[in-house]
Amino acid sequence: MQMLRITAAAVLAAALLALPAAAGGRDDAARAALTDWYRLVLELVRHTPTYSPPVAARALGYLGVAAWEAEAGGEAGRRSLAGQLNGLGEGPARAAGAHDAALVLHGALAAAVPVLFANTGPTGQRAMAAMAARIGARLAEGVAPEVAARSLAHGRAVAAHILAWAAADGGAVVENMGFPLVWTSGGRPESWVPTSLIVQQQTPLLPLWGDVRPFAMPAGGACPLPPPTAYSEVPGSAFHAEAVEVWQVSRALTEEQKLVARFWSDDPMLSPTPPGHWIAIALQIIDRDAIDDGRAREILARLGIALADSFIACWHSKYAYDLLRPVTYINRLIDPGWQPYLITPPFPEYPSGHSTESAAAAAVLTALLGAPFAFEDATHEDDGLGVRAFASFRAAAEEAGISRLWGGIHFRAAVERGLDQGDCVAAHAIALRFGEG
Amino acid sequence: MAGAGSRRGRRAAGSGLALLLALSAAAGAGAGEGVPEGAGPLVPRFVEETAAAGLEHRYGGEWEYMVGGGVAVFDCTGDGLPELVLAGGEGAASLWLNRSAEGGTLAFAHAEAGVEATGVTGLYPLDVDGDGITDLALTRVGANLLLQGRGDCRFAPAGDAWGLEGGDDWTAAFAATWEAGADWPTLAFGSYIDRREAAFPWGSCTANRLHRPAAPGERRFAPPVALAPSFCALSMLFTDWDRSGRRDLRIANDREYYKGGREQLWQLPAGGPPREWTEAEGWRRLRIWGMGIASRDITGDGYPEYFLTSMADNKLQRLAVVPPAAPDYDDIAFALGAIAQRPYTGGEVRPSTAWHAQFEDVNNDGRADLFIAKGNVSEMPDFALRDPNNLLLGRADGRFEEAGDRAGVASMETSRGAALADLNADGLIDLVVVNRNAPAQLWRNATAGAGNWLAVALRQEGANRDAVGAWIEVRTAGGVQAREVTVGGGHAGGVLVPWHFGLGPAAAAEVRVIWPDGAAGAWLPATANRTLTVARDR
Repeated sequence: MQMLRITAAAVLAAALLALPAAAGGRDDAARAALTDWYRLVLELVRHTPTYSPPVAARALGYLGVAAWEAEAGGEAGRRSLAGQLNGLGEGPARAAGAHDAALVLHGALAAAVPVLFANTGPTGQRAMAAMAARIGARLAEGVAPEVAARSLAHGRAVAAHILAWAAADGGAVVENMGFPLVWTSGGRPESWVPTSLIVQQQTPLLPLWGDVRPFAMPAGGACPLPPPTAYSEVPGSAFHAEAVEVWQVSRALTEEQKLVARFWSDDPMLSPTPPGHWIAIALQIIDRDAIDDGRAREILARLGIALADSFIACWHSKYAYDLLRPVTYINRLIDPGWQPYLITPPFPEYPSGHSTESAAAAAVLTALLGAPFAFEDATHEDDGLGVRAFASFRAAAEEAGISRLWGGIHFRAAVERGLDQGDCVAAHAIALRFGEG
Repeated sequence: MAGAGSRRGRRAAGSGLALLLALSAAAGAGAGEGVPEGAGPLVPRFVEETAAAGLEHRYGGEWEYMVGGGVAVFDCTGDGLPELVLAGGEGAASLWLNRSAEGGTLAFAHAEAGVEATGVTGLYPLDVDGDGITDLALTRVGANLLLQGRGDCRFAPAGDAWGLEGGDDWTAAFAATWEAGADWPTLAFGSYIDRREAAFPWGSCTANRLHRPAAPGERRFAPPVALAPSFCALSMLFTDWDRSGRRDLRIANDREYYKGGREQLWQLPAGGPPREWTEAEGWRRLRIWGMGIASRDITGDGYPEYFLTSMADNKLQRLAVVPPAAPDYDDIAFALGAIAQRPYTGGEVRPSTAWHAQFEDVNNDGRADLFIAKGNVSEMPDFALRDPNNLLLGRADGRFEEAGDRAGVASMETSRGAALADLNADGLIDLVVVNRNAPAQLWRNATAGAGNWLAVALRQEGANRDAVGAWIEVRTAGGVQAREVTVGGGHAGGVLVPWHFGLGPAAAAEVRVIWPDGAAGAWLPATANRTLTVARDR
């Protein structure tokens, strides 16, 4: 297997300059348009403050569905997800006459992305407009004008259908970047309390996200977890021991453990966020293996659905258990001056979101691409964090999970149960039928 | 200067600031909330006189002018009243002669002065060639410029004669210093995004340019050196952060556009290439939307604190350990009520966007106050659109108290650059603010009952006539105030005027100057309410 590594920015720059539509026919053109849009979207995620991990995952879910539905019912025999995803009805019918799949896709994404990322700033707005113009011009070359117009119109109609569906899921409006203006603490010794000096983060992120309508899971609570380890402040208790483990590990971190912690940290506004990281992995594999347009759309759709659902499931559990972070417990009972290696996220601890979403992503990608499946991950190469190689998607997910313990922001139970939860979430996405069979 | 070393908590949450932190958190408040009525400092009264003063200027333009919009304040007529030069963006920069009556209302008159370049984002006054006439450095979208002051507020391009290779970047940050023994300044220009990368600008930060002197006596700059890596600078400041006599270069970088970036601090070893301070040396990795830098010793420990503007929470950095062995800073903004995270008036709950910041004592009570210019980048929905400027008053307990609305400066325009300076020689700090795609604004400080004051101008012969890099110490019964003489920082503009100190009730003070080469002058007596010129070796 060829182990080619290409950074996201370099790929996009090359794509925009070289206009690869001519490289391998319309399938390649459609795939290039798909991946170009996605790479722009990952930058929009990074540069739009609203896009905390749950919100980003939701957008990536709808984007994947929009890309898939753009060709559902077309010539390729792809099955629509209408009736399979919660609340998604039949999409618009195609007008009579020929359609160009690449332009339908572009029409859908060019209409959906500006709505899903409406909160981005002036630079993102310019970039979306520039991307739409360049890809549109590229794809229109050699296509009859009436076919191009018909194709773009259908793409826009699909986008409108998806966006109308999305608007009613309970997650479309995010105020104050997801931090409620009022919050009442659980009041128990184990309840989450703020850990940040940032004013906005004195309330927890998106406490109602577990009520957002999932894509494939029947409900936010469809993948429940056992309770976290029973809270205790008694030395020698299981909970105390978990905290001591975090504290001790953090005091003896190796350089490799620090690198791993930073590699998976995926902080909002400084990275494409955790769900974007897994999308970036998929994009690298799609490029590396020249996966065809239809398969690429399925990968991104199933993965987006699983990621979106994993944050709904995880947040459902987080606020059901409302557990404090290691820094709170350790400062209170073990070491008043201790600080974790990573910045503690501003929401309850159990389970680990990284673990849930990474296990879900790994399960979906394994179902689609097989196992073992070796790959290299250059998502953060531009940020100076190098490239990491993995023997399988599961191995990557487990590393992402344990990185949160090494970073000092999760207890072990949150990591292990989070991985379990991700497996459950993924099963719903894997069960979706994308083909005619 | 602090004497024996003291160890503060490395992190504010574990230090003696914990109580203050807890109080702030409990209040759920931004700056100033929860302060009991009547316990605060004198609230100044500012009167907007933009129209009456005759100031008509606009910083305008689209994407390339979403940053910048600075103002330079300095006296080019010699009458003791400082002039204004404002960046125009796509329009022309403009110079405004100060026609104010001493102690009276503000009045300005536009004058063609040779500063009318377009594409200007920022302006900083300094005397490059040591002729006693203030010159101007202009940051631009395009080639940066140096304008030589020719006297009587006339300026002419001098970049070619002085060897400045101005480049062709998008630049909005600038700082200057005189390195040890140098007869010519060292300039740093901070570059921003590669403006040719409209479709994918992220990660495209162009290289900052460091212009050091050519050989001694040549009176020109050597070819610029790239300060690599560069991370989309929006403010730069040469500062003697550890009082070692060496001035390092702080750079505030905009994380919106860099990859792998951070806030930076560079050393300039004599005769050697610039070297960045590292995490291993104590410079913690900090990634913010760095937009402006203000510095002042507000804690009285003899070392400057640094206020860093950003989006949402701003930072106020204090050395973790004094005397310092490393540039290791704690953030004390939350503890001191200087977060200024979101609008305090006008009803918006979305976070703020902060640009220029400057410490000055606006009520002359002997404590530095902090002005922050605010304004949305460009209709960013996640951030406040009606975003009032802040005026944080220093309190006796060391905290800050918001008074922008009560003082009359809570403009809701989309502000960028600003300057606080005494524009009518009455000893009260006035205010000019540059807004994006809206008229600039001007306020006269008309505070009744303000404290006494002292302004200190520095002069030395030869190069660096304004003694950039010096420290001025003012001693009264209330303690010692110290401020560093700098060129740079803020957002896209700076002042070169006599340096202002509020004295509170003190009718007299003692003044000492630590000159840029480290030589300490004698303590000099000074009566209040005047400008004291301290000339070296006289």
